[in-house]
Amino acid sequence: MMIDRRMYKDFDVMLATMALVIFILGLLTIWSSTQAKGLPFAQSYVLKQLMWFGVGMIFFIIVIKVSYHKFLDMAYIIYAVNVLLLVFVLIMGHARLGAQRWFSIAGFAFQPSEFMKISLILALSAYVGQKKGSMESLENLIVPTALLVIPFVLVLLQPDLGTALLLVPIFFAILLVGGAKLKYLTRMILLGIAFMPVFWHLLRGYQKQRLMVFINPNVDPLGAGYTIIQSKIAIGSGGLIGKGWLNGTQNQLNFIPERHTDFIFSVIGEEWGFLGAIVLVLLYLLIIYRAFDIGNLTSDRYGKCMATGIAVLLSLQVVINIGMTIGLMPVVGIPLPLVSYGGSSLLATIIAIGLLLNIGMRRSTF
Amino acid sequence: MRDRILIIALSILFALIVTGLFYNQILRYSYYSKMSRNNSIRVLPIGGSRGTIYDRNEKPLVTSRLSFDAVISYQEIGDRRRLAELLSNVLGMTGEQIMNAFEKAGRRPFAGVIIAEDIPKDKALALEEASFDTSGLDIETKAKRNYIYKHFGCHIFGYLSEVTEAELDSLKDDGYRMHDMIGRSGLEKYYEGSLKGVDGGTQIEVDNRGHQTRVLGMKEPESGQDLYLTIDIRLQIVSDKLLGDHKGAVVVMDPRNGEILALSSHPTFDPNIFVEHNTSSQRMELLTDNKGRPMSNKAISSTYPPGSVFKIVTASAALEEKKITHNTRFFCSGVYKLGSAGFHCWKDSGHGAQNVVEGLMNSCNVFFYNIGRALGVDRLETFTKLFGYGKPTDIDLTDEVGGTAPGKDWKVAHKKGIWYEGETLNYAIGQGYLSVTPIQVLRMTAVMANNGNLVHPHVVKKIGSNELQNQKPKDLGLRDDTLREVRTGMFEAVNNDSGTAKRTKLSGTIVAGKTGTAQNPHGRTHAWFCGFAPFSDPKICVVVFLEHGGKGGVEPAAIARGIFEEAKNLGYI
Repeated sequence: MMIDRRMYKDFDVMLATMALVIFILGLLTIWSSTQAKGLPFAQSYVLKQLMWFGVGMIFFIIVIKVSYHKFLDMAYIIYAVNVLLLVFVLIMGHARLGAQRWFSIAGFAFQPSEFMKISLILALSAYVGQKKGSMESLENLIVPTALLVIPFVLVLLQPDLGTALLLVPIFFAILLVGGAKLKYLTRMILLGIAFMPVFWHLLRGYQKQRLMVFINPNVDPLGAGYTIIQSKIAIGSGGLIGKGWLNGTQNQLNFIPERHTDFIFSVIGEEWGFLGAIVLVLLYLLIIYRAFDIGNLTSDRYGKCMATGIAVLLSLQVVINIGMTIGLMPVVGIPLPLVSYGGSSLLATIIAIGLLLNIGMRRSTF
Repeated sequence: MRDRILIIALSILFALIVTGLFYNQILRYSYYSKMSRNNSIRVLPIGGSRGTIYDRNEKPLVTSRLSFDAVISYQEIGDRRRLAELLSNVLGMTGEQIMNAFEKAGRRPFAGVIIAEDIPKDKALALEEASFDTSGLDIETKAKRNYIYKHFGCHIFGYLSEVTEAELDSLKDDGYRMHDMIGRSGLEKYYEGSLKGVDGGTQIEVDNRGHQTRVLGMKEPESGQDLYLTIDIRLQIVSDKLLGDHKGAVVVMDPRNGEILALSSHPTFDPNIFVEHNTSSQRMELLTDNKGRPMSNKAISSTYPPGSVFKIVTASAALEEKKITHNTRFFCSGVYKLGSAGFHCWKDSGHGAQNVVEGLMNSCNVFFYNIGRALGVDRLETFTKLFGYGKPTDIDLTDEVGGTAPGKDWKVAHKKGIWYEGETLNYAIGQGYLSVTPIQVLRMTAVMANNGNLVHPHVVKKIGSNELQNQKPKDLGLRDDTLREVRTGMFEAVNNDSGTAKRTKLSGTIVAGKTGTAQNPHGRTHAWFCGFAPFSDPKICVVVFLEHGGKGGVEPAAIARGIFEEAKNLGYI
């Protein structure tokens, strides 16, 4: 239960440091991208982000101190509560004018879909881990599929296409390392592709448009297309070494919407150039490398599933987010982990990193 | 080793991203760098206009008119002197105003900044012409909301204001942009989704003098849908004028289907103030007037004790529950004794022996104390709720409240106490914890007018070309003799020379009604009238409510008479 000396020895200092460095880079970028608003520090986004970080640290300590097996024991409860919160947000959203993905607690917007990613990883790992070697059977794929489909539909209805889609690879990754038959998994993917038209039907107009824009940015030169074009100009004009912190013209002149949240990478690309962007990508890769490493070192099946799920989650968020700022991915509203402004995303990522460290620290205990 | 598959897949994705960054930042650097230096991409939005609102005779009530703004793009100003001269000649701006305008534009040099809003059309044309050879100046056209009848019907329409930056976060997915207008109350808010247009625009590339070189893309704007109301603007104006300087509300409805013909709440406001510029002090005044509360729709958003108009419910309940028949009489000596406490009738000398019709005609409290006690609080509560009190009517306007239909459980939950017999007596005459909105009283009146059906009051008939499906009225299952007795009581109240509502009496058309004078802890009594006409085949029902308006039989009855008269002139009855 408690942390002994050996556990401290296995605390992955590098992983924690990398995460902290990325977060600090994020703060600097948020400051730069919001300074045109001219807010005093007391009302600034940086301060709000720092407050969220403070909340995150409380969660971080809890997540590290308690063995991750305790979380796995409660995985289904956590999952159920999170699903209920999604339903709640959905009902509230309907009562209002349109889409709503969050509700506010003491003035802070709380977005359950961000936490659903972690809850799903926990629930799937709990199931797959418990089934030990019997994941090869087809019956044992039923429960995991249900675990995926429920939050997938709820998040999609919010409507948050990006987060919903992100749940799918997490599902496949955990089943893959959990020992499901490749034959079944590939069939499920094919089945999913066959259902695409139905899925397309469920999307809202603007979501369809965003996907269309990805194929041809000129479809909507004012909406999503505009953002992509301006974001590409920002990143491209950053060149090798960038225009310098606080000096990005695209950034400072309000050319890019959402540049402190989903499009924050365009500010990094513009102000810190190719070198800065590569350094950031490398920092992420180190974290992801450590995540896979932790998954391999642990002899615990549950821990391996969780570590893999988290590794895939972080990787895909980074790839999709950066990809959309340079027009390689559709604009689907995935934040850049630890960097984008937004409390729920930050909190969820801190929890994910905490869980990774937790698995690493207890890798030799049974 | 299965995670090898994952690692390979993720590596490919990361390699793709790094390649993409290399391509954009290194290989295409000079292209993007030039684009960024020139800031050569502009978006010229073309707003989708908001839907028009028409009355039941398709007379336009709320439209969108074109308004012209003068816009300066600081970076593109060529000849500053010449531009200043133009502004002073055409717009009559002083030197200081022009300096301020330039300074304002200088703060955002690449974007267009509005320096003169809503300028007259001829001046806009003159500037437009001159702008061809004066770089840096543009005339922007946008649609501005126009409430043709100003404060008449304002609480039906509601008002608009700009979306705030905080709201934009959750609204941008629905196509809202900075400076867009959004409905804040009334129809403008309730039907925001239908009324709002979809913005379009063109994205253009400009040269370094700011002149368009190439159109990159174009999206057609779409107009919002029009609303066709059940309101008759002629009756609406009369209703507003009759209400005059009183604080209160008047609502007129067709009892057969719930169509609202007029809805007034006073004091009023002019919704145009919220879309015009340089009116912020007037706006503040309207929004912070806590005494008159001009922004609140008193017909649906405030609750009051109903007083004697509620006797319609008490009488119906007693007849339905067979506690009385048409000739059951109670003696009114001017006071009713409950233990040692005396409950008074409004007439100190008493009404003598009263049956239900006389009780309603004279609004005799003692008669209703007797039947209230015979019924008991539970039955009163049941009938209060049956007549639609205690919850909103679901009229298609915003900020409707439901009021309170009290009972034993309600008292335990909200007042932490048991129900006293004396409270039942107050309940029976529409006082005490009971609180209602004028629209609920109107709907109750319609039950008497349409043979026992609870209708759904509504303001909108048709959206675009879609007729809205009428919600079916709910049959309350009242017996014919119940309806007949209460209706007769309401008939006598207006048409008998000693009736409380005799000021409503009209020649040529028979009106029936009930007055109410409700005591309240805040001062002078509230005054009510509710009624319908013609008696034999009701087509119009009216509620008049005056906040601290004295006696129901005086001004409300007279205002209602005016409404019935106009309804007759217009051919409704």
